[in-house]
Amino acid sequence: MDLHFSPEDEEFRARLHAWLEEHAGRLEDAAGVMKGAGAANIMDAIQMARDWQRTLWEAGYVGLSWPEKYGGQDASLTEQVIVTEELAAVSTPPLINTIGLTILGPTLIRHGTEQQRERFLPKILTAEELWCQGFSEPEAGSDLAALTTRAEIDGDDFVVNGQKVWTSLAPIADWCFLLVRSDPDAPKREGISYLLCDMKTPGLTVTPLRNAAGGIHFSEMFFRDVRIPRANLVGDLHGGWQIARTTLEHERSGLSSVLALEQNLARLRRTASNIALGDGRAIDDQAISRELAQLWIEVEGLRHLGYRTLSDQIAGRPPGATASVGKLFAAQLRQRITHLALKIEGPLAPVTKKSPHVVERGRWNAAYFDALGHSIGGGTSEIQRNTIAERVLGLPRSVQD
Amino acid sequence: MDFELSEEQVVLREAVRDFLARRWDAAHMRRALDDPPALIPAELWKEMGSLGWIGIATAEDVGGSGSDVLTASVLAEESGRGLLPATLSSVIAAATAIDRGGDALRTSVLPALCAGDHRVVCAIEEPGGTWGPDAVTLEASAGADGWVLSGTKILVPDTEGADLCLVAARTPAALGFVTVPTDAPGVTVTPMRRLDAQSIAEVTFDGVVVPATALVGGPERAEKTLRATYDIWTVLGAADLLGVAETALEMTTAYAKERTQFGRPIGSFQAVSHRLADLLVDVEISRSLLYAACLALDEDQADASALVSAAKAFASDTAVRATEAAVHLHGGIGFTWDLDVHLYLRRARAGAASLGDPDFHRDRVARALGRDRTDQDERR
Ligand SMILES: Cc1cc2nc3c(=O)[nH]c(=O)nc-3n(C[C@H](O)[C@H](O)[C@H](O)COP(=O)(O)OP(=O)(O)OC[C@H]3O[C@@H](n4cnc5c(N)ncnc54)[C@H](O)[C@@H]3O)c2cc1C
Repeated sequence: MDLHFSPEDEEFRARLHAWLEEHAGRLEDAAGVMKGAGAANIMDAIQMARDWQRTLWEAGYVGLSWPEKYGGQDASLTEQVIVTEELAAVSTPPLINTIGLTILGPTLIRHGTEQQRERFLPKILTAEELWCQGFSEPEAGSDLAALTTRAEIDGDDFVVNGQKVWTSLAPIADWCFLLVRSDPDAPKREGISYLLCDMKTPGLTVTPLRNAAGGIHFSEMFFRDVRIPRANLVGDLHGGWQIARTTLEHERSGLSSVLALEQNLARLRRTASNIALGDGRAIDDQAISRELAQLWIEVEGLRHLGYRTLSDQIAGRPPGATASVGKLFAAQLRQRITHLALKIEGPLAPVTKKSPHVVERGRWNAAYFDALGHSIGGGTSEIQRNTIAERVLGLPRSVQD
Repeated sequence: MDFELSEEQVVLREAVRDFLARRWDAAHMRRALDDPPALIPAELWKEMGSLGWIGIATAEDVGGSGSDVLTASVLAEESGRGLLPATLSSVIAAATAIDRGGDALRTSVLPALCAGDHRVVCAIEEPGGTWGPDAVTLEASAGADGWVLSGTKILVPDTEGADLCLVAARTPAALGFVTVPTDAPGVTVTPMRRLDAQSIAEVTFDGVVVPATALVGGPERAEKTLRATYDIWTVLGAADLLGVAETALEMTTAYAKERTQFGRPIGSFQAVSHRLADLLVDVEISRSLLYAACLALDEDQADASALVSAAKAFASDTAVRATEAAVHLHGGIGFTWDLDVHLYLRRARAGAASLGDPDFHRDRVARALGRDRTDQDERR
């Protein structure tokens, strides 16, 4: 057992480190943009975020595990991890095309046609085309396979009618990958297809929804006779369910969320050392320091779980349902960090951003709302528990359908 | 980068599991609850010695197997799983103290200890309401013929058949282990009883005279040796608890598949299955922390103690949760004397409150994090 990186890997890390130092200014711009500052308007901000991803890609730090011929690096998993770690260490914001990079890219690499790979993969890497994921519907959330958005074949096209909802980043996306019902008579998991849709296609409208935190994050999408060329079918006709399922597993090695949590916790420790409590500071209170210690323990646990998952991937052992373990634990941990933060803020916890006395410009209330979404999006915590119970523990299914 | 057990460690795990399944019956622990404490029979111990398990983490030149703490943790985990008294853990820890402390003891004591012919115990805890080396008050004061020890140790495991005791004491030279033969004048051993029928005792020292050379590691290395030993013993305690938790989860999962109510297996009810899923998560996190802590000790990393505390705190909480769930999810039968489930609950409860309870270890982590903070402040 060892957690050491090879000398080559360490060299790679040093080069990346130097590159990041050189581009520190750009990085600050990008970070500012993701927080909604420093750009005249939202379109400028998005352009800056796209440029930042492109810059990173040009330097060779995006799409590490992707094949070289599609613009990737054919690099090792460990190099991928090093990039994730180093970017997190300098607090870079998540890349704007994360959905394309983590979900659609790996899907096309495994299941796409050669034309699809050549057409779409390079522009995912450069952020020339931003992607959103059109899976959930009003009547199909946890029970995703109940989706009813209909696709009928008409000549060389699919004609799509129906509604998607909670689609993150839809207003700024150029393309959408979506699941549709292509055979309404088949059993529900066997009549679903996986399509790629240009967001500018006539008949597709996007209505942004304001989320509980007050921001625009997700949208409704309405499809009325939207024509999608058959060439944009991924995998087999009616074979979309299996594809979606395997790539949702792909999504999570877990290590990137660990780094975000680690930063949250480090920030919380700073908050706790700044806030006065009694004669001292909050961090000196025994109950609070114990809770902080417990959170540190859990972040370390999650990190080392991530190393085990990574080792399995490197050794070619299937990741399987263990991804659910990390996702479930991380969502709870993220929420508990924000709970403790608001507890430490005490009487100032309800004070909002634009108010005098507000703590750290309202960061923790924002983080609190953000964390709530983590046990819903990407499969709720109950669904993760079902997966663990059924696929890791081998318990009988709780839902009969 | 490979953060899983090696092939040899996996083979060892199977071998120990298989050995214990054939040679040790958990029913011994149930019987011992009414009788004298459960002990590993001498011939079994001797066999474990010849298999190289007692000296697993001891150097080869003195009869050990020269392996590391991680490998030792496999033995501890399997002891927990098989409800074998945790003597391997306590003796492995004692052996590393002597091994690291160097001195003449290495060659005089370790070969027989590794072979299973001779037992050494560590006496650390005292009746002060807390745990660990920092809480040691027992004093060895300067006397005419060396040092004079007076005071009380409690919760000392496995004193039966032990001929040498490593007593954590504050000596005129340093805090550290002092070796005391268990038959020295002034030593009194009084049995205590532990919730899970493992052997523990009170050991009192009344003017016991020892030479100044009895300090393990000498004035320079004594304290480091004591602290390292406590860390190793603690991490083995965490491994033991992980074995307990995982076994309780497996027993309960099996039962949830087979027990039917309302016409379906109880494991299809989410109130049952989700509790088990949460426990699986806790077990996986415990295992990850255990590996991290063992590796940190084996590589002598600066944050090793914090990771040891992390592993012990989390494994303790997990073992208690898992075994309480096991009792509950078995229903009425889970509350019976004859089912093994309460034996695991007892071991979890006793283990969680030994070698530092979860709050003790959270405080240790908090102090380590605080030290980091001070270091950073100073650098700034
Ligand atoms: C921030 C955020 C971003 C999102 N982004 C996207 C996106 O980009 N693209 C996209 O397609 N979707 C997206 N989603 C949607 C998300 O995938 C769904 O919200 C989620 O799968 C739950 O579906 P639902 O909202 O219909 O809730 P429901 O499925 O109706 O669930 C309601 C409650 O019932 C519980 N429940 C449901 N079924 C079970 C069961 N079998 N056992 C026990 N409890 C159950 C759930 O856990 C939940 O607590 C996003 C959601 C959020 C919050």
